[in-house]
Amino acid sequence: MTRRHRSFHRMLWPILAVLVALGFTMALALRPPPEQGDAPAQSESTK
Amino acid sequence: MSVSFRAVQWNRRKIVYDAILLAGVALFIATYMTVGILRHPPADRPAWIDLRINALGSCAFVMLTIILCIGPLTRLSPRFLPLLYNRRHFGVLTFLVALAHAYSVVDWFAAVGALGDLVTELTNNAKYFQFIGFPMKALGLFALIVLFLLAATSHDFWLVFLTPRIWKALHMALYVAYGVLVMHVALGVMQDDRSGLTATLLGGSFALVTALHLAAAWRERETARQHGDWITVGPPDEIPDQAARIVATANGERIAVFRDGNLIGALTNLCAHQNGPLGEGRIINGCVTCPWHGYEYRLEDGCAPPPFTEKLATYRLRLRDGVIEVDPRALPPGTPAAIRIA
Repeated sequence: MTRRHRSFHRMLWPILAVLVALGFTMALALRPPPEQGDAPAQSESTK
Repeated sequence: MSVSFRAVQWNRRKIVYDAILLAGVALFIATYMTVGILRHPPADRPAWIDLRINALGSCAFVMLTIILCIGPLTRLSPRFLPLLYNRRHFGVLTFLVALAHAYSVVDWFAAVGALGDLVTELTNNAKYFQFIGFPMKALGLFALIVLFLLAATSHDFWLVFLTPRIWKALHMALYVAYGVLVMHVALGVMQDDRSGLTATLLGGSFALVTALHLAAAWRERETARQHGDWITVGPPDEIPDQAARIVATANGERIAVFRDGNLIGALTNLCAHQNGPLGEGRIINGCVTCPWHGYEYRLEDGCAPPPFTEKLATYRLRLRDGVIEVDPRALPPGTPAAIRIA
């Protein structure tokens, strides 16, 4: 791995990690509220 | 460094590793299914398939998380090195479990007579512009394709064919697959799970992978405290005999400083074969031996013993005030640079 590769990786991986952390947080925060009488089984959309 | 071709170079360690791996996967799936049956006994065939989908998906995600933890763990402590030796088989098995998960999803849609809905979900362009409601199966499919590419090219043939540089760059895509899978779960099963268990486990696993990589990087920086232009390695007796201490230069390149009795030599940490972590290997029969595939190099000059021709970059060393220091400027591959200490 050359120095250029290392510099590239040093920039790339933190950006990806932040993007995934942001996506995870948004997915958690923006969850729709549970419907009344929601069945415990999975819905088809998350199969 | 083999003179004859063998498809897979099996040895006792690999067989034991694979046996433990298979037993672990079987135990995980059996436990998951048993707990699932006890909590909510499946009433019909789709419910059984549903349970299988969750068991296989969870297993594949856990396996991928473990695989990504192995690298930094071995850099933090040599106790984890046994996990590294057959990591490629771990990866291939992860792909197979993920493939079984994907097959089960198709099986579920077939069982309820709704295969068309699966196709519609994957091809509904409008959904791709939503965040909540994004077709999470497309994310899973993308990650599965990446895992397939990595599993299919895991053999040494592809390493030689693609060259180590391209092969390694390709296999870094595993991190991309992991990120996509985190979102696959976050936009999928986590949306329906109100208990918070999925969110906790998913967030915890992602935090663990990130924290271990940060800890390993921080540890290497600490080890590589600069001493003028030279990097401090430490007193000779702190370098484990017939093993190495790895130091990192200011630009992040790693140097493996080995000790064989009173002979100390510094080589690049990247094996010439596959850029394997040479410093995590040992000195066997007088040669530095890469932990990945057993490529061997002389400590004195970084050259593979005859008839092999691989050469590694070496580094100058000096003993100053009882402390070994290494010059971070690499010497041309094959340059004798090891020193003897009294």
